[in-house]
Amino acid sequence: MSAASETSGLVARLEKELRDFWTAPADPSAPPRSRVCTMNLEVVAPSTELLERYTPVVDEVTANIPARAILAAVEPDAPGDELDGAATAVCALTGDRQICSERITLTCRGNAAARAASAMEAFLVPEIPTALVWLGRVHTDDPIFEDLASEANRIILDSEYTSIGSVIQVASWARRHRNAPAISDLAWTRIAVWQEMLARFFDTPQTRDLAWKIGKLVLAQACEPGARIGPEGALMLGWIGTRLGWKTSRLAGALRIKRADGASVSIELRAVPRPAGVAPHTLAALSVEAGDDPGRPSLSGAIERELASGLGGDDTTPDADVLVWKRRAADGTESEQRVRLGPNKAAKWLEQTLHRRAHDVAFEESIAFAEQIVQDGLTAS
Amino acid sequence: MTLASNPLRRGLIEDRSGDPCALVIFGASGDLTTRKLVPAVFNLGLSRSLPSGFAVVGVARRHKTNDQFRAEMKDGVARFSRRKPDPALWKDFERKISYVVGSFEDPATYTSLREHLDELAREHGIGGNHLYYLAVPPSEFSTIVGHLKRAGLVADPAQERAGGAWTRIIIEKPFGHDLASSRELNDCIASAFAESQVFRIDHYLGKETVQNLLVFRFANSLWEPLWSREHVDHVQITVAEEIGVEGRGKFFEQTGVTKDIVENHLMQLLCLTAMEPPNSLSADAVRDEKVKVLRSLRRMDASMVREGVVRGQYGRGFVKGEEVRAYREEPDVAKDSNVETYVAMKVLVDNWRWGGVPFYVRAGKRLARKVTEIAIQFKKVPHNLFNVSDGGISQNVLAVRVQPDEGIALRFTTKEPGNATVLRDVAMDFRYGSAFGSNTPEAYERLLLDAMRGDATLFTRRDEVEEQWAFIDPVIDAWREHPSAPPIYAAGSWGPEQADDLLARDGRRWRRP
Repeated sequence: MSAASETSGLVARLEKELRDFWTAPADPSAPPRSRVCTMNLEVVAPSTELLERYTPVVDEVTANIPARAILAAVEPDAPGDELDGAATAVCALTGDRQICSERITLTCRGNAAARAASAMEAFLVPEIPTALVWLGRVHTDDPIFEDLASEANRIILDSEYTSIGSVIQVASWARRHRNAPAISDLAWTRIAVWQEMLARFFDTPQTRDLAWKIGKLVLAQACEPGARIGPEGALMLGWIGTRLGWKTSRLAGALRIKRADGASVSIELRAVPRPAGVAPHTLAALSVEAGDDPGRPSLSGAIERELASGLGGDDTTPDADVLVWKRRAADGTESEQRVRLGPNKAAKWLEQTLHRRAHDVAFEESIAFAEQIVQDGLTAS
Repeated sequence: MTLASNPLRRGLIEDRSGDPCALVIFGASGDLTTRKLVPAVFNLGLSRSLPSGFAVVGVARRHKTNDQFRAEMKDGVARFSRRKPDPALWKDFERKISYVVGSFEDPATYTSLREHLDELAREHGIGGNHLYYLAVPPSEFSTIVGHLKRAGLVADPAQERAGGAWTRIIIEKPFGHDLASSRELNDCIASAFAESQVFRIDHYLGKETVQNLLVFRFANSLWEPLWSREHVDHVQITVAEEIGVEGRGKFFEQTGVTKDIVENHLMQLLCLTAMEPPNSLSADAVRDEKVKVLRSLRRMDASMVREGVVRGQYGRGFVKGEEVRAYREEPDVAKDSNVETYVAMKVLVDNWRWGGVPFYVRAGKRLARKVTEIAIQFKKVPHNLFNVSDGGISQNVLAVRVQPDEGIALRFTTKEPGNATVLRDVAMDFRYGSAFGSNTPEAYERLLLDAMRGDATLFTRRDEVEEQWAFIDPVIDAWREHPSAPPIYAAGSWGPEQADDLLARDGRRWRRP
């Protein structure tokens, strides 16, 4: 059998399995099933093992954002030239109805890996958006990536797993291509609350202009001393720098950051212990000092994450960590607020990312700034 | 003061927090505060939409301490909120809640309130911004707004435009009981507040599907060419409830369904359906277009009311298999009451887009199902190619379901599989709950947040309210001038037969949503 007919045979078999699923259930008392599909969600993993670990994440996401999920483990170096797959529907009971999303899982080994993109594309539902979640390292000249990316509306990466370098590389690739898909990073979604909370320091008329006068910024991340800045910290710095017009320069090779008014900004990265269940390099705290006199800041603000405070006893994350926000003005006025960071689960981050607007100019600008921070090799003390 | 000038808010996707402010609730001992307002505020807190400088101040006559008030609010959140109190955050939220006791007539209450708000400004950084919520009967409005003004608790709107502290006031319907009383009420509010400071809440406008009507109409090029007399045969708007007056007999005897539902909710749905595209989504641009619709409604004289309006009152019957009593058997309802619990109207919109297209609207209690929907009935095909019995090919219908099961359905005709050409109506059915999950914010959450942000798009402007009354008043006047008992319909039915006749005369019939 030729490779092409093998692929079309697989596609036909899986399509039939899905059709069979949608025939009326044998048990007439079973709740009726509704097929709902608001997008195609393609997930590519470099190994079957990683894909299996990620499948429950996808199922959780499609329970809230009904989609046709097309998952593929692409292993070109695995023995055997095999393209195989399975199809099923994943249902969630909503009232008296089952709302079902279709999930197609493909395994592409050896030379068959070259056919992964074409097999995945055969299952795309037309007329709805396609999001491509790439779990491994990204090489923008990889033909599978190129094929899938050209059909997708957005590409979602997680720099916690693929490295901020991969995100930078893909963002750069997107800038070079017309009609390129939007690029998203789950780490960017994770810092969204931090961004909003940081902005709160400068919401009052008395503090608004002080944003331009940030002279000191301290970040803390969950890591060992000496570790390099993680994606969340780098993106946060990139975001602050681009919002406030900070400029970078080099002095004897060392990175210097200056405000729009030319004054220097002192940046520090600190390491805090990483509790069990917390991802490496997780952003743990952020503090700022702003004003004309570095020795006597007009505003001091701190945001601290109570790391692992959202973790359940059984290592699950039923809810999110608490974030404590504190602002102190020069006249001694203090404000404090406690919020939850948002469910600390991979599925929730992906879901939130899918809900956010795909093209985010702030992200595109921030990633370019973050690139310089990463290149500088800022390390935690 | 607004947040827009904060450079770190430029392009911020998560930017949905309100301005720093104190929410001052007059009538804080009432049900609305416990059931809706404080749970909504708490949910805003959970969603991180509350600003860091924020406080809730309850004002009411009943003596209670801050701790008692906080305990009541915690109980209310536990019972009525879509998300339950989070122990890690409740303590922080609770610190922001306080209570001022006092009579609304006593100037000392407002002195205490001012002192308390000054203290909160120092302690909680509310920036001198005050959002007043009048959760009290309209008869109290005049007293409260007068005292607020005299106590110096209303900021000059010019001050806000210059970036200073702001004051806003939210009032609940009913906004009067006729045009004259509505004007009187509006004049009373206007004596202390500029129109830009007044937020008239109609919680229907906070519902997702109602907001989606704007998106559906103006973000899809497909509908615009069809959305006019060229293609639309007629429109049906239904606001049906299964419940009766539910212990509100005294209130309902004063209002009837026309004033309770048609004058506000139903008119708003009609406006959103019929309005022209606004030139922007600014509050005034949207409300200008709604007002134009209201001004285009053909005013009814007595003969038009006789021909085009049907009243009804529910008798005994069965709703969902349960036997229910008649309206006249409800507590606090007169045994010979002629108050309408159902009304159906043929409304004509005299403008270029809708000339000759009737809008049939109906609202009622104790009907067969709880449903609110807008159904656009398109014209029949001009020539029938197919051999179809039963009245020919069905019209296409686009139904926008506001509640329950919010969504949009399009009915169209297809061929049944087989050798013969047999036509069958099918529906493409989009449901919000299925596609996006059901944990959407409550209407009050959205509306309170909008008020904190100064966005009045989903609130009703003075001229809207007055135009609504100007349309409804002649109907009520005609009934008053020619009093008669409304026809009785069985509870659990779809209303009186006369309502069916209203459409039958035009060769049409009501949908069974």
